[in-house]
Amino acid sequence: MLKLFYPLFNCVKFRLILLICLLFTLAVPYTALAQKSFTISGNIKDAVTGEALIGASVRVNELPKAGAVSNGYGFYSLSIPHGEYSLIISYVGYTPVAQKITLTKDTVLNIALQPRNSLEEVVISSKTARNNANISSPQMGVEKLDMSQINNVPVLLGERDILKTITLLPGVEAAGEGNTGFYVRGGSSDQNLILLDEAIVYNASHLFGFFSTFNSDAIKDVSLYKGGMPAQYGGRLSSVLDVKMDEGNNKEYSTEGGIGLISSRIKFEGPIEKDKGSFMISARRTYIDALLKASSDSSIRGSTLYFYDLNAKANYHFDDKNAIYLSGYFGKDVLGLLNTFGTNWGNSTATLRFNHIFSSKLFSNTSLIYSNYNYTIQSYLTGNQFVAVSKIEDIDFKEDLQYFAGNGHTINFGIDALHHNLAPGSLTAPDSSSFNTRSIDRRYGLETAAYISDEWKVSSHLNLLYGLRLSSIAIFGPGTFNTYDADGNTVTSKTYGSGDVVKSYLYLEPRISASYSLDDQQSIKASYNRNTQNIHILSNSNSSTPTDLYAMSSNNIKPEIADQVSTGYFRNFSNNIFEFSAEVYYKWLQNQIDYKNGAELLLNPDVESQLVYGTGRAYGIEFFMKKKYGRFNGWIGYTLSRTERKFDAINNGDYFPATQDRTHDISAVGIFKLNNRWSFSGTFVYESGNAVTYPNGKYDIGGLTTYYYSERNGDREPSTNRLDLGATLEGKQHKKYHSSWTFGIYNVYNHRNPYAITFRDSKTNPGTTEAVITSLFGRVPSITWNFRF
Amino acid sequence: MRRNRLTYLIFFALIAMIASCQKVISLKLDNSAPQLVIEGNLTDVYGIQYVVITKSVPFTSTNTFPRVTGASVSITDDSTGYVFKFHEDTTGVYSYYPMVGLAGRKYIMTVKTGGQVYTASSTMPQLVNLDSITAKISSFGNSDLRTITVNYQDPASIANQYRFVLNVNHKPSGTIFAFDDSFTNGRYVRQDLFENGTDINNQDTVSVEMQCIDRNIYEYWYSLSQQQQNGPGGGTTPSNPPSNFDNNALGYFSAHTTESRVIIVN
Repeated sequence: MLKLFYPLFNCVKFRLILLICLLFTLAVPYTALAQKSFTISGNIKDAVTGEALIGASVRVNELPKAGAVSNGYGFYSLSIPHGEYSLIISYVGYTPVAQKITLTKDTVLNIALQPRNSLEEVVISSKTARNNANISSPQMGVEKLDMSQINNVPVLLGERDILKTITLLPGVEAAGEGNTGFYVRGGSSDQNLILLDEAIVYNASHLFGFFSTFNSDAIKDVSLYKGGMPAQYGGRLSSVLDVKMDEGNNKEYSTEGGIGLISSRIKFEGPIEKDKGSFMISARRTYIDALLKASSDSSIRGSTLYFYDLNAKANYHFDDKNAIYLSGYFGKDVLGLLNTFGTNWGNSTATLRFNHIFSSKLFSNTSLIYSNYNYTIQSYLTGNQFVAVSKIEDIDFKEDLQYFAGNGHTINFGIDALHHNLAPGSLTAPDSSSFNTRSIDRRYGLETAAYISDEWKVSSHLNLLYGLRLSSIAIFGPGTFNTYDADGNTVTSKTYGSGDVVKSYLYLEPRISASYSLDDQQSIKASYNRNTQNIHILSNSNSSTPTDLYAMSSNNIKPEIADQVSTGYFRNFSNNIFEFSAEVYYKWLQNQIDYKNGAELLLNPDVESQLVYGTGRAYGIEFFMKKKYGRFNGWIGYTLSRTERKFDAINNGDYFPATQDRTHDISAVGIFKLNNRWSFSGTFVYESGNAVTYPNGKYDIGGLTTYYYSERNGDREPSTNRLDLGATLEGKQHKKYHSSWTFGIYNVYNHRNPYAITFRDSKTNPGTTEAVITSLFGRVPSITWNFRF
Repeated sequence: MRRNRLTYLIFFALIAMIASCQKVISLKLDNSAPQLVIEGNLTDVYGIQYVVITKSVPFTSTNTFPRVTGASVSITDDSTGYVFKFHEDTTGVYSYYPMVGLAGRKYIMTVKTGGQVYTASSTMPQLVNLDSITAKISSFGNSDLRTITVNYQDPASIANQYRFVLNVNHKPSGTIFAFDDSFTNGRYVRQDLFENGTDINNQDTVSVEMQCIDRNIYEYWYSLSQQQQNGPGGGTTPSNPPSNFDNNALGYFSAHTTESRVIIVN
């Protein structure tokens, strides 16, 4: 199998080597000129659980310009001239550590930080613990979520959820009420790269989007990149949501869990070998089906409706320089309606990673990743029996290296080879069925990428993060590939043998960000980045469903391309207690996909004949104010934006607002810790309505009122607004166990938000038509009991 | 086959249970100028053939659609060149008697009105017989309700498209049923007509007309039916179904076979 990739590898490899040489000639001279310095490196961990801390900062009191931040595995490296220093190691939610060091040679310094729990410490949190990384880092458009904060934000039915929480950030919009789909800066929901321990999660939702696949219990760290994507990420246009699972406590065993209204969850973790390795298993299952059983309607009573998921992770540190991580996710949704239809879908991912520290300056991570998303639909109706199956399966090899060059340079570089195997659909039916057995050709593709980037402290004011990502895709046979004319008729048809290259694309994606600090409390940043995308969801319905069709770039579908520029002003107040930012962005989109009228996408071998291609643009401004510390904390965000698409066949080829074009978007989150036992939280959202198409007239077809539409998305749904409240009561302190209650009220003032607006003949007033608004959730109370022992 | 629709039926059951609520609202809608609507049918039954020409009205008006009088309407048999000139009997209703559409023949309809000429063509498909219609207990919701099934043998040799018109107690059900044989080619087909408006009860009189239609007309009805699913959780972005008329006329010209069955549900 690998043999067929060789020609491609060679081509990519050559360009890659060229690229790396080029970039190193830029970066290396500065390193060579540096004065003699030594390197302090090591791991930063949680002192209680042994979990690696991501993004902890190491600063040098004597050298305000020098500093390092721990990477995704807790590793840091800092090169400074010999001398005596005091280091300050800090991380949000932990007590900072000051460490004296006499540096006369390269030194390994592992650090364990104590988590701060009690209220008093929160209130008097020392100034040194508050860092201004948001000001000095050139990275922009990034949001890091604090898991403890997520757990305090009130949500629907008490099911705390990272995907619903990120939609409370500026520039991020919820796809719909009770929906975990999200739109980032005008992108569609399939333009988000969602990674769970580096594995792509194709469908991040359970139960049509009411819940996400991410069980917060098992999640350690969440970062969302809306712009200025670092060069190591690629493959989607709009955003990267990088989710990392908990590693497990490597000091002692513990169990925690929760019992909620519609689901329960449990997590078990502990050491494999104390201080060397640990494991974590977390599971969750809903029991809505128990409620169904209580229904008076026999067909609802006979229905199946549940999901479950399982996260597991294990790691083992052989020594200070070598560590191995194995993590996996498995989730499934099952729905069925009494002897008629059944459907199930789910993701599974597995990630095997190997960390190796080559030297105090060179960190390596090698990953082998598997990801699978599939769904099955089954009909049991007499005469109409069938089983339909669809699947996408990926195998991914990645090598990521981080070189802490010293003298202000940190260089990230690596390669990525991702193999896709798409089975768009097959239908199997018995002889007695009305349906024929058929199967759509599988599609095979290999996405390869090489990247290099350098984070460079040019001066005490100027920081640069610049890099390049070279990405390519090759689509392979076997299979028959057609080309189509504008009417969707087949023009040419060619059959390829196994391993034949049908089509390949190659793109160079520059990624540049810069920050200029005006002082230690304010900075200006700017960035430009290009992203390409080769996996597209084909869905002509207005909301995403588990049965959405995935398609790869092909001889007909060109890779989607986005170019984004953004700039912003960042300012902290009151010793970094308050963070403020204002960012503007403009994004150009190419090769966007839409559908012909009446397009048939399901199990259609000529599905690509149903597509039309166009462009898009999105621009906006985002304001964000956050209070990070103290008894009261939270944030408020406001986004003013516009998102448009342009297709020759729609609205005379003019720009029209995309469905997710919401002019105003306001989110506010507040969390108040009253005392050691009670904390309260509230969220408020206001969003302009979606752009929708309403009728501009009506006419009669065979006695049926039919609507006339003159323009796509020319109207607006009513706005959405909602207030949610929550409260957490911590149980009394016990030696052996701890418990807490979480109470919530969703949609406190019971506002009927639009889920859909439809038009129909009036029953009460015959001979007229009426518009009907459907809302999903009124006021919904919830209660959850959580425990840990 | 509508797999999405099937999934949504399950979804509806879930949503209905949780909380969903519907309310009539008033919306400010833009009104377009009246649009010309031509509805032309030519069947394979020897007799009178009708064309109705109307105009669209604003959404907020009552459902009274002005008829268009004084149009010149004709159908040309493409293989013989013979022109059937239609007469306006009542306002806006044009007819020709006697006339029959023959399988495999292409017909061209020309309508002249308001200084514009509108043309459309349609080919009469081969007849596929409607074997029977049957009723069974509804699979969804209330077990007192019935679902109608149409049974027919799809010919394997050619691509077929069908439209079914369901009437319950002599009233149109309001749901559009358009199917092609891309999943059922050559099969004996038992197609359930899943209803989302009219309830069918025991002892109701149900009639089904089966039409064999050409590809363009199938696409017309199929897009219209997709928009009927425009309820919660689904539906496509609405647009006008692709008419086979040129010059932006709404409506269609369909040459189709017709065969009906009536049963009393029990």
